[in-house]
Amino acid sequence: MLTRTWRKFCSSRIGRSIFRVGLPGSDLERARVGVSSFLLHIQPVKVQSRSLKFRTTFGLGLILLYLFLILIVTGVLLMFYYVPSPELAYRSMKDLEFVVTAGMLLRNMHRWAAHLMVLGVVLHMCRVFYTGAYKPPREFNWVIGVVLFLLTLGLSFTGYLLPWDQLAFWAITVGANISSYAPFVGEKVRFVLLGGNVVGPSALLRFYVLHVVLLPAGMAFLVAIHLWRVRKDGGLARPAEPDLIEEEFAEFELPPEKTYGLMELARGSSAAVGTAQEDTVFSWPHLVFREILLLMLTVAGVLVLAIFWNAPLEEFANPAHPPNPAKAPWYFLGLQELVAHSAFWGGVVVPTLLLVALIMLPYIDTKPDGVGVWFSSQRKTAILIFSICLITMTVLTVIGSVFRGPNWDFTVPWHPNVEEH
Amino acid sequence: MSDTRLQRLYPWFTASSLLVGILVVVGFYRDRFREWKVWQRDYIRQETARATTPQEKDAARRIPVAIKQIVLPEVQRVDRCVTCHVAVDDPSYSGLPQPVSYHPNHDQHPFDKFGCTICHQGQGFATTKQAAHGNVKHWDRPMLPMLQIEASCAKCHHPADLPQAPKLTRGHALFQELGCIGCHKLHGRGGAIGPELDKVGAKHSPQWLTMHFKDPAAVSPGSAMPPVIVEEADIQALTLYMMSLTGEQLTEYHVSMKTIPGPRVGRQLFEEKGCVGCHKVGGKGGDVGPPIDDVATRRDAEWIVAHFRDPQALSPGTVMPKFDLTEHEIRALTEFLLSLTDPGIVGYIKIPTWMTPVERGKSVFGKYGCAGCHGRDGQGGVPNPNAKTAEQIPSLKYAAEGYTDTELRSRILNGQHEITPMDTERPPPPLYMPGWNGKIAAGEMDDLVAYIKSLLPEGDDLDF
Repeated sequence: MLTRTWRKFCSSRIGRSIFRVGLPGSDLERARVGVSSFLLHIQPVKVQSRSLKFRTTFGLGLILLYLFLILIVTGVLLMFYYVPSPELAYRSMKDLEFVVTAGMLLRNMHRWAAHLMVLGVVLHMCRVFYTGAYKPPREFNWVIGVVLFLLTLGLSFTGYLLPWDQLAFWAITVGANISSYAPFVGEKVRFVLLGGNVVGPSALLRFYVLHVVLLPAGMAFLVAIHLWRVRKDGGLARPAEPDLIEEEFAEFELPPEKTYGLMELARGSSAAVGTAQEDTVFSWPHLVFREILLLMLTVAGVLVLAIFWNAPLEEFANPAHPPNPAKAPWYFLGLQELVAHSAFWGGVVVPTLLLVALIMLPYIDTKPDGVGVWFSSQRKTAILIFSICLITMTVLTVIGSVFRGPNWDFTVPWHPNVEEH
Repeated sequence: MSDTRLQRLYPWFTASSLLVGILVVVGFYRDRFREWKVWQRDYIRQETARATTPQEKDAARRIPVAIKQIVLPEVQRVDRCVTCHVAVDDPSYSGLPQPVSYHPNHDQHPFDKFGCTICHQGQGFATTKQAAHGNVKHWDRPMLPMLQIEASCAKCHHPADLPQAPKLTRGHALFQELGCIGCHKLHGRGGAIGPELDKVGAKHSPQWLTMHFKDPAAVSPGSAMPPVIVEEADIQALTLYMMSLTGEQLTEYHVSMKTIPGPRVGRQLFEEKGCVGCHKVGGKGGDVGPPIDDVATRRDAEWIVAHFRDPQALSPGTVMPKFDLTEHEIRALTEFLLSLTDPGIVGYIKIPTWMTPVERGKSVFGKYGCAGCHGRDGQGGVPNPNAKTAEQIPSLKYAAEGYTDTELRSRILNGQHEITPMDTERPPPPLYMPGWNGKIAAGEMDDLVAYIKSLLPEGDDLDF
């Protein structure tokens, strides 16, 4: 019944002008859906069924895209209530909690989606690394990915200050101090970032503008390029199987009913127009359905967090009353832990080296081995080095988050003193 | 093949759609049924039940359920208390259980100007009981219990000028009497041995303050402060006075209320303006005008106020000048004059020129908080652990014998920062004598020395 009504609408004049093809019934129509719609710009007409398997990517890239969209939607709604001036900023948090309809839900969603996004970016990066997906021709997309990682941190960090409570104020103070350890430019960077030497109203305004205009715009731009490149580089990375394709190509005959032609130009052996006997399926419905399903699950996950856990809001920021210990946002606690041992090594050398290494990775490790395979045995050294760095940063972050009490002394989370704070 | 793979997704679709749907409903449900709505509906029900005519019933039913708030931008407050306490301004609700109950006292503190949290504290932004009453984490000013509400009065009123707040007034008086400012600075005046007290009420909880008076070192390890030994009620009064010291700045409007009369302000004016130059009080003073301590028996407040405004209009030909007094000052002076029938009050008037040097010295002794360490009347006995002088601050009674005037002066001006310890192994005595050079004026010093010398018990001249 529903389907019939839908078909009727699609075949009407208005319906055709919107959907062009309608609900596709045949492979031809499925192909036409891909070609004639906007979706073509993001995904090909047909995709490898291997790419659709959940364990290939765990859907991390898409989840990040959805989190970004959730953040934009909730963020724009929050902007209707938020005023970037200390007194009013804090008050708007209270208004959201106590007055605005679903205001707390909105703020919670924004907060948790932001944390999830930082976590997701790291996991996504691990996925890409462990499947060797940064190897040629995808080197530069990895670099864009690293920049997106930095933008995500920047967005999360700038958003952290906006509630203007004790948590925000001191986390940003500590974070900004870490940035000032950079040689020569550190102090200047901090001054430009804060619009002064301490976190104050001008810092709030700058962080706000960065958070709602500059960084999201940069992010959207780079995300578009990132996705477009995935598509142009032939979809997801997968193992090269030249022998198989050649073999099958010899036996392959063009089906007589195949009337569609070249729809795109892509590098590599992946799109393989003409060698069509691959394990591919139509993007509509196989990919699109899975994408929608993942969207639903992502929204559901964020909603669960937002309904049952409130975003923190402490006392109004008080520059005269630092909490002990004052901690940076959790994703910088690994750095703060390092800085606690040595400002120069932890605040300058290690982060710089890590960042340079991340960016340079696809240009250092150019061997085409193990592409598209999880933990390929041909990449033992690379995997070992990456894993050591990853585990070290994770351990440092955990120590910084949970095992550091007043005066940055070692403590255990179940210690009663921690509760008091 | 591909169709069956697709079909495997269908249950997932159903489940995830249901999940998102349910979550959205749960999210909004929790939002829709906020506790303040219960009270507003309760209020509407009562209003509807009270309505006698159909029109009234109709109007009652149409009362909107909505957030109500008192916005006070100049004091950074938005008080939403009236969202639940909807009937605070309706006397017909007096005596009914909270929150839908009447709040008396509208005239002195109009609610639309004062809101709620200026006096009651708590979290005005909030619309749930727990958060609004401030019993939540990350809100450091919970609602004041009614027993301690007087602490808020001092935000605008002078604590000594407030008969409606006896505990606060008592606390303030004790603070002066015990010489707390000998060690602590308050409003820019006082010693530097202990911490400043300008915002002490915002920094510490009432429990902490009470504990601190009883045993300072117990809550503030290493504190040099001797325990304050007074009755429990007085400890509470002192605590209340400390709680009132929040350093919060209210606006001109709110603060202007504090200059509205009060005999204490009147007395100050009376002492300053030199009224006794012409008028006799308690048998002392000039003869130009009539004695003034019985004015209450001859005139009423209205007459006195009018007379201050324009003496000629009421007593043609009088020599009393028209003083340049503000309306508030006139009312304060009038209140004071009317209180003069009480002979106790007359005895308190301090016109410096009427006092002997010893009397003035005694007030200097009080003014600088010397009693904090040297005890009331300089009798000593305040503990100073490990001081060679029996671990106490010695009495000043025999200072007149041990020191010449010059020595006494130099000792007060320069202080004694090193106190000889009883046992050099133990930590040095925490209390010491600060130098008062530049703080105590020369004239005051003369009077102070006279006072200290007067402490020597008569006939007790040991004459070594």
